[in-house]
Amino acid sequence: MGKSSGEGRYIKGTSLGEGTYGIVFKATDRQTGRTVAVKKIRLGKYKEGVNVTALREIKLLKELRDPNIIELIDVYPHKRNLHLVFEFMESDLEAVIRDRNIVLSAGDIKSYMQMTLKGLAHCHKKWVLHRDMKPNNLLIAADGQLKLADFGLARIFGSPDRRFTHQVFARWYRAPELLFGSKQYGAGVDVWAAACIFAELMLRRPFLQGSSDIDQLGKIFAAFGTPRESQWPDMTALPDYVEYQFCPAPPLRSLFPMATEDCLDLLSRMFAFDPNVRITSQQALEHRYFSSEPAPTKPYLLRRPPPRPEGPPKPSELISPGGPVVLSPMSKAVRLSAMPGGDVHSFGRVDREAGKEPGSAGPQGETPFTASRIPMSIDATQLIRPTLNSADRSHLKRKLDMDLLSNQD
Amino acid sequence: MAANFWASSHCKKLLDADEVGHVLPADQERGLTPEDVKLIKIHLSTYIKLLAQNTKVRQRVVATAIAYFRRVYTRKSFSEFDPRLVAPTCLYLASKAEESTVQAKLLVFYMKKILSEEKGFRYEIKDVLEMEMRLLEALDFYLVIYHPYRPLIQLLQDAGLTDIIQTVWSIVNDSYRTDLILMYPPFMIALGCIYIACVIKDKETRGWFEELRVDMYVIKNIAMEILDFYENYRNIPEERINAAMAKLPQRS
Repeated sequence: MGKSSGEGRYIKGTSLGEGTYGIVFKATDRQTGRTVAVKKIRLGKYKEGVNVTALREIKLLKELRDPNIIELIDVYPHKRNLHLVFEFMESDLEAVIRDRNIVLSAGDIKSYMQMTLKGLAHCHKKWVLHRDMKPNNLLIAADGQLKLADFGLARIFGSPDRRFTHQVFARWYRAPELLFGSKQYGAGVDVWAAACIFAELMLRRPFLQGSSDIDQLGKIFAAFGTPRESQWPDMTALPDYVEYQFCPAPPLRSLFPMATEDCLDLLSRMFAFDPNVRITSQQALEHRYFSSEPAPTKPYLLRRPPPRPEGPPKPSELISPGGPVVLSPMSKAVRLSAMPGGDVHSFGRVDREAGKEPGSAGPQGETPFTASRIPMSIDATQLIRPTLNSADRSHLKRKLDMDLLSNQD
Repeated sequence: MAANFWASSHCKKLLDADEVGHVLPADQERGLTPEDVKLIKIHLSTYIKLLAQNTKVRQRVVATAIAYFRRVYTRKSFSEFDPRLVAPTCLYLASKAEESTVQAKLLVFYMKKILSEEKGFRYEIKDVLEMEMRLLEALDFYLVIYHPYRPLIQLLQDAGLTDIIQTVWSIVNDSYRTDLILMYPPFMIALGCIYIACVIKDKETRGWFEELRVDMYVIKNIAMEILDFYENYRNIPEERINAAMAKLPQRS
């Protein structure tokens, strides 16, 4: 943290957007001259003080410091509002993947994956599960560095304004053990999501686009074959386990015809069904894929989407689903992410979203992705998800407390 | 968990003995002595525990709250930050940080119930919420605290001493009546508590301690600090506490 902190340190710029829990401004840090994104956390109902999800993000980001994790530069209260100051990020990986003008070479993909896994390995080393890995949470700085963002912004038991959450969106990155209701998952869930991102970088579209949890598992098994008991011994013991019709695995090569042997080997290890067998983020970084030809592209040489004109983005563009983060040992972490929940979280990258305003829509505004995203925001997904009533909630909460109790350190 | 602790802000922020327990200038002016400061901290740590029992939060939340409380007073004076408000607010903040939020309304209800007779404890929800923000600043927004409980279990299993877990657990709870959590890594505090329990329960553990290759001098220091609490502060006469509390600025 800098020597001084607080309102006087920043020259406020344009508004970058507004979310459910605050407004984001672009600003300049007088001390360093850096461009920053200031997120003003509105006090909700005045009766419960500082927003718990904001507190969770502060708590975790104060412990994490890594070139591939978004930097929380400063936090200060002003007029009873808490302000979070982040480094300003120009773009995100989703924009890169969707931009048809950008050609992603094998070296580019390797570079993005290396940065993603480095950030993830840092989290895992500190026992933090990100639990919301997806391309639009991987922000890209002006120097090309990719950084993990959006820590702990989703709420544990779902937010009241659920119609704004894109539950489906996170589902595409959800590991099979989560879909089977595992309560004792670990860092493997982040590795699975990273593997989905890896595949998405090659395919230039989300790899496994399930329309429900059941369908998601169906898509996974169609791609990798229905797992046999020998591949994943604990599978049948999982709470929500259902038997799927056996489906043989097509050769991985047929799904990724352009990939090298090393690339497919790493991908298959990251997509291992059994979380105990799945490669860790650190092991993945040491995989020969990263040392074989071609070398990863230097971050500053990576092509980025053109900067977008500034202006307030459409509210619908600011929404993204969330997954809470726990700071607990991976082996014992409780299951939280399957609950509907989310929050608007946007800092630097909302600037990019501004371009999606009607009238200024660039080529990206027309991409199939944007089009497919709109229907997903409607309530269809909420209908599939059971709503938690207060009895369920207190039951879950009790269970959670018990789990955490046995985890005390 | 140890590897985790070494990389944490808690570890980097560990303090030396001369950085805790000192009396800040503003408090000196009010006539507070190091002894008064010690008594006030013990008294308010007990208050936090009482509130926690009433609001039914986990032990871990209590431990984190007391750690926040003690950390705040290494840099802020009692004159500037009224401990009678800071203590419950620490519990409030810790309950959020440890993911088992206590409603401010409930907390204030028990604040009034427990110490209604005592002067200076009359605070409202808005006071707690205002203090929460000041507290966050005073803590420089560092909220992650590690505790001796987890290493304790691992160590006792390793030593084959799981039969004395209850005794050691209570000693660890009592260690929060001191500033030890600000000064030593949690596993060292756990070892200090195991050391005391072994002495009380007459367990032969010298060989096990030697194999650990830890600085026994430090372990003994920790144990001495806890024993000092047991000998001199376990039952503090009320007059002594009242005398110390009377030196705090009185609220109208």
